[in-house]
Amino acid sequence: MKNVDLFDDYLNNHLSVEEKLNFEAQLNSDVVFCKAFNEHKLVVDALTLNAQKIELKKKLQTIHANEFGNEAKVISINSTFFQRYGKTIAVAASTAAIVMVGSLALLTAQKNNSNQITDLKRDVLALQSTKDAIINEIGKTNSKLNYAPANLEGSAFALNNEGYIITSWHMVNGADSVFIQNNTIERTLAKVVLCEPSLDLAILKIEDAELIKNWQVPFAFNDKLSEIGEKVFTLGYPRKDMVYGEGSLSSLSGFYNDTTMYQISIPVNPGNSGGPLLDEQGNVIGVVRGKITNAEGTGFAIKTNEIIKAISNFANDSNVKDVTVYSKKSTLKNLKRTEQIKRINPYVFNVLVYKRD
Amino acid sequence: MSKPKLQFTDSQFIDGLRTNSNEVLTALYKKYYNIVLKLIVSNNGTQEEAQDIYQETIIIVFENVKKPEFELNCQLQTYIYSIAKRLWLKQLKRNGKTFLFKEGEEEEVADVTNDLSEHFKKEDNIFKMNQSMELLGEPCNTIITDFYVLKLSMDDIAEKFGYTNSDNAKTQKYKCLQRLKKYFFEKQVEHELN
Repeated sequence: MKNVDLFDDYLNNHLSVEEKLNFEAQLNSDVVFCKAFNEHKLVVDALTLNAQKIELKKKLQTIHANEFGNEAKVISINSTFFQRYGKTIAVAASTAAIVMVGSLALLTAQKNNSNQITDLKRDVLALQSTKDAIINEIGKTNSKLNYAPANLEGSAFALNNEGYIITSWHMVNGADSVFIQNNTIERTLAKVVLCEPSLDLAILKIEDAELIKNWQVPFAFNDKLSEIGEKVFTLGYPRKDMVYGEGSLSSLSGFYNDTTMYQISIPVNPGNSGGPLLDEQGNVIGVVRGKITNAEGTGFAIKTNEIIKAISNFANDSNVKDVTVYSKKSTLKNLKRTEQIKRINPYVFNVLVYKRD
Repeated sequence: MSKPKLQFTDSQFIDGLRTNSNEVLTALYKKYYNIVLKLIVSNNGTQEEAQDIYQETIIIVFENVKKPEFELNCQLQTYIYSIAKRLWLKQLKRNGKTFLFKEGEEEEVADVTNDLSEHFKKEDNIFKMNQSMELLGEPCNTIITDFYVLKLSMDDIAEKFGYTNSDNAKTQKYKCLQRLKKYFFEKQVEHELN
C-alpha cells in the first residue's frame, strides 16, 4: 500500500482504531513520513477549498445574473436616466453651447491665436452634436413610432441556411420577446427554439421565411480544436454598430479550468456575448461568452466542438429536427479580412431582448 | 404588484450563512451590492470590477462567518464595506493606480486586517491549486476532483472512466496526484504580479 493511500484512508477515516494508532505513532516518530503527510494534507485542503470557492463563486454569479442581470442594468439605468433628466441635460448642454459660442465670439473679436480658436470651435461642434444626440435620444424615447429600448442587447450569428441562429442563453433567459437586426435585416422577431444553459447557448429561429430565402452562410463550423497562438477575430454588437476585434487564442481552457471554453486575447464588452469567434480561414471556432473582470483584454468563448455536440443532442432529444450546423467548407478562405467581414456581416446580428420586470 | 420584501437582521444573516441558506445568501447579496458598487464606481472602478470585488467580499464574509470564533463587532454593512474597500485598494495598488480615495456613505470603517490576512494566506494556496489543476488537464482533473472533492469511491471512478478494476483507477489517480503535487509545490505565486 502506498503512503498516499494510507494518508487518504486516514483523512477519510477509513482506518481501524488500531491502524489509526499505528499511523499516528509513525507520524510522531518518522520525520520524513510526517513531512510527506503534511504536504499531502496541504494539497488535499487546497483542493477542497478551491472547489468550494468555485462553487460559491458560481452561486454568486447566478444570484447576480438573476437579481441584477448582467448587461441589463447598464442599459436600463441609461434609459431611465434619459427619460428623467434628458430635458435638463439638453437645456444644460445648450446653455453651455451658448456660453462657448459667446467666448468664441469674444476670442474672434480679439483676433487671438487662431489655433486656439479652431480648438474651441471643435469643442462647440462636439458639444452641439452631443446636444443633438441627447435631443434625438429624447425624441426617440418619447415618440411612439420608435421602438422601446430593449432590456438587454447582445450578439448572435447564423447557424445554417434555414434561419437558425445561435446566441448566449444568458441573453434570452426569461425573455418575453427577442428581436434581431443588422444592416441587411430590419428588426424582426426571433423565436427561442432550444436552450443549453450548461453551455450558455440558445438557438433562435427567424420567423419570417422571406428574410432568409437567399441565405448562404459563408463560414463553416470547425469542430477540430484550435491551437494556442492561432490568430482569431470576433464580430459583435457591443453597441448599435458592429464591432470587430482581433487577437489570438491564448488558452485551451476558460475560467476556472473550464475545458468547454477557449480563452482569447480580445477585449470583449457587454453586448459581445453570443457573437462568433472565427479563425483566419473564416471557420467559426467558438461563441463569445464573457470575460474576466479584473484582467484586461481577456475573453472567453465556448468551443465549437461543444456546440456541435450539444446540437446533436438537441436533435436527438427534441422535436426540432432540422437544427444542424452548417459545416461545409468556409467560403472565406484566402480572402482579405475586410472582404471576409463584408461577407460575414449579414449573418451576424444585434439581439434585442425584452423582459417583463 | 410588488412582493413584500423579506428583511433580515444582521444576526439572521449570519445564522443563515452558517446554515448555508440560499435564501439568506441571495438576500444578503441583493442588500449590499449597491453600497459596494457605489464605492468602486466612484473610485475609478467599472461596474464589472465592482461585481468582482463584491463577490470576493461575500466569499470572505461567508468564510469568516463560518468560523466558530467569529464575532461581528460592527454592523454587517460596515463589515462588508470595509472588506470591499480593502480589496479594492489592494487591486488599485497592484495596478499601480494611486489617487485620493472617495469614501461612500459608510464612513466608519471596521478593522478587518486579521480577517483579511488569514484570507490572503489561504487565497495563495487556492490560487496555486487552481492553476495547478488547469495544468493537470483531463482526465486527471476529473479523477482528482471525483475522489478528493466529491468523495467518490475508487470503484465508482473505475466504472465512470472505464478502468477494468479499482486498482487500475487507483494507480491512475496516484499518477495524477503526483503530477498535481509537482505543479502545486513548484508553482510560484504568479498572481501577485498581475
